[in-house]
Amino acid sequence: MQATALSAEREGTNDAPGLRRVDDYFIGEFHAMASPCTLLIDTDDRTEAAKCLAIASAEAIRIEQKFSRYRRDNIVYEINHAEGRPVVVDHETALLINYAATCYVMSDGLFDITSGVLRRVWTFDGGRKVPSRQSVEACLRHVGWPRVEWQNPVLTIPVGMEIDFGGIGKEYAVDRAAALIASRTQSSFVVNFGGDLYTAGLRRDGRTWAIGIDDPGRTGKSALYRLDVPKGGIATSGDARRFVQWRGKRLGHILNPKTGWPVDGAPRSITVFGRTCMEAGTLSTLAYLQGRGARQFLKQQGVQFWIV
Amino acid sequence: MRLQLEPGKAPKVSVRDALHGAALALLMIPASAQAQSAPSDRIDVTSLLYGEQGRTEVVEPVVRFTHLLPDGQSVSAQLAFDVITGASPSGALPSGTVQTRTSASGHVITSKAGQIPVAPFHDERVELEGTWHKPLNRLVSSDLGFHVSREKDYQSLGINAKVSTELMRRLLTVTVGGGVSHDTVFPTGGTPAGLSDGTVVNLGSNAKNVTNVLLGASRIVSRQWLVAVNGTETLERGYLTEPYKVISIMSHVNGTPIGELTDKRPSTRNRSAVLLSSVYHLSDDVLYTSYRYYWDTWSIRSHTIDLKYRHDLGDDSYIEPLLRYYQQSAASFYTVGFVEGATLPDFATSDYRLGRLRTITAGATYSFRPDFAAGEFTVRGQYMRQFGNSSPSNAIGIQRNFDLSPPVNIVAVVLGYSFDY
Repeated sequence: MQATALSAEREGTNDAPGLRRVDDYFIGEFHAMASPCTLLIDTDDRTEAAKCLAIASAEAIRIEQKFSRYRRDNIVYEINHAEGRPVVVDHETALLINYAATCYVMSDGLFDITSGVLRRVWTFDGGRKVPSRQSVEACLRHVGWPRVEWQNPVLTIPVGMEIDFGGIGKEYAVDRAAALIASRTQSSFVVNFGGDLYTAGLRRDGRTWAIGIDDPGRTGKSALYRLDVPKGGIATSGDARRFVQWRGKRLGHILNPKTGWPVDGAPRSITVFGRTCMEAGTLSTLAYLQGRGARQFLKQQGVQFWIV
Repeated sequence: MRLQLEPGKAPKVSVRDALHGAALALLMIPASAQAQSAPSDRIDVTSLLYGEQGRTEVVEPVVRFTHLLPDGQSVSAQLAFDVITGASPSGALPSGTVQTRTSASGHVITSKAGQIPVAPFHDERVELEGTWHKPLNRLVSSDLGFHVSREKDYQSLGINAKVSTELMRRLLTVTVGGGVSHDTVFPTGGTPAGLSDGTVVNLGSNAKNVTNVLLGASRIVSRQWLVAVNGTETLERGYLTEPYKVISIMSHVNGTPIGELTDKRPSTRNRSAVLLSSVYHLSDDVLYTSYRYYWDTWSIRSHTIDLKYRHDLGDDSYIEPLLRYYQQSAASFYTVGFVEGATLPDFATSDYRLGRLRTITAGATYSFRPDFAAGEFTVRGQYMRQFGNSSPSNAIGIQRNFDLSPPVNIVAVVLGYSFDY
């Protein structure tokens, strides 16, 4: 109880964009997309740091407002509540849907933005409650990207189905924020939205930013690996925080849209380094969806990755 | 059909590349932003100014260009240009009167009484180096490099490679590497015979081949402390003699130099070194310490102790004082000179660099980022004082009256500027 109260309090204070100097760089913090967000920027100029922080938080909040499935005033709500009617989407949403469609094809159906309805029956709170076979099967009737009609820019989804950009939205926000910041500053920086991050270039002393991968068994307490990557996106998929226990196994929150069940046999945590955060995030999720084949999959992609 | 990847068989279309294409379309990054988010390049410009009191002066501007690629690869190229002027001890002994002699390069040299004779020279050297760094996978990286250098009477062509791998959850890094270099020595006026009066025996060039291997390991001991050990072995084969150095012949009566013989060194030399180093991060400052032990088949043994301390002066600058102690023993065939009538050994040199030597260095680096320009400026100053063997035991006669290796004062200044763009 105490820990919960403390973390709530800390998150509360992070809601106000805060900028502070640490050693020879600035850290800006804010809260968006249900995650703590930070910007590290290698500058001595507070004004520049504040400007970049404002850009990062504005972009994070914009993307959250536009694509969160928890709001009633955005395009996702409109699509999910169209009751079978076609919806004309804007250019940005269209490209995001195209990206999701590519992910579906490339993963042979394992990455599916219509799989969110499965969360109605699954609760990943660390407990032991799993849904009945009947309820999973009932949900699966509303899952499947091929049932969606997508003729850019018109999207039509059957009644009872939903789309959800949760699997790519945060990474997209990271890349967008990074691109906007890069167009305003020459300084090296790291955008980190809840563990999905983008690192832009070497620091002034020629070194890379030190990025740690947490031990999934001890979230936030210790860094298992230290990454030294000059430029690119980093994202982690795993079961660190949201999982359910079943028959002595720990099942992470990533669901296989074909079975309706959490992926079995996947590593605890998969971190991928890619050219963009979206690439890293999607590959780590696709790898996770491979279960025991995660390592093999990533090897074939020729990316740098860390499996715990 | 489920995506079940068969081991060892790559998918027809790379998932990664398909995603990347889709992501780029989505990110809609404007061209200007994309250019700015391209891998950063770095240029370092340095200039070394080196002066030995009354002897050599070196001016060496260096330009280094580093290009970083997004997947962790980098390529760098360095161009250096040296101008070396001044005079270097010829190896001959001082005499009680003015000495005059001619050098291999045709200059006439005179030395004052009691002074160590020196040979003047002017040389220019151009060197081009390149390195390609490539991560092979998440834990292993490789470096490939080459160098080409050329001066009036010397040329060197070489390649090198090294592979590093990280072990023990990246706490331990092991490096294995090696290189080969093919050098050519073509002394001005021809190559004199060793231990002769300077009779030229070869008007062409002499080959020298150098092979080296290195093995190193560095270990992160704690959040603050990193230790490393490195071993290197270098094999030199070929013409290792210094064609312009001489050895005096002393009169057996009073030690006066009455003649000179040319230098002659063995045609093989195996050099070994072990370096132990430590980097310790205090709360703000960093302490660097290292010890190097060197030995070779010419019986030279040396010890180097290095101490550096980096202290930040606010946000934009730091200062790093340095102290170094160096000591070496003489090569087995080093001699201060021959007494007339003595039996000549197979090899001999009077080159002070192969004699007993101690050097003490004190210096500091100051680095700052000015408000008026982008990038970082570095100023490094070092003062060295070199001590040889002033009174070698085999000096005879008047040579006992002279300081045969007076301390030499050396000052080196390096000015550097680096910026990313």
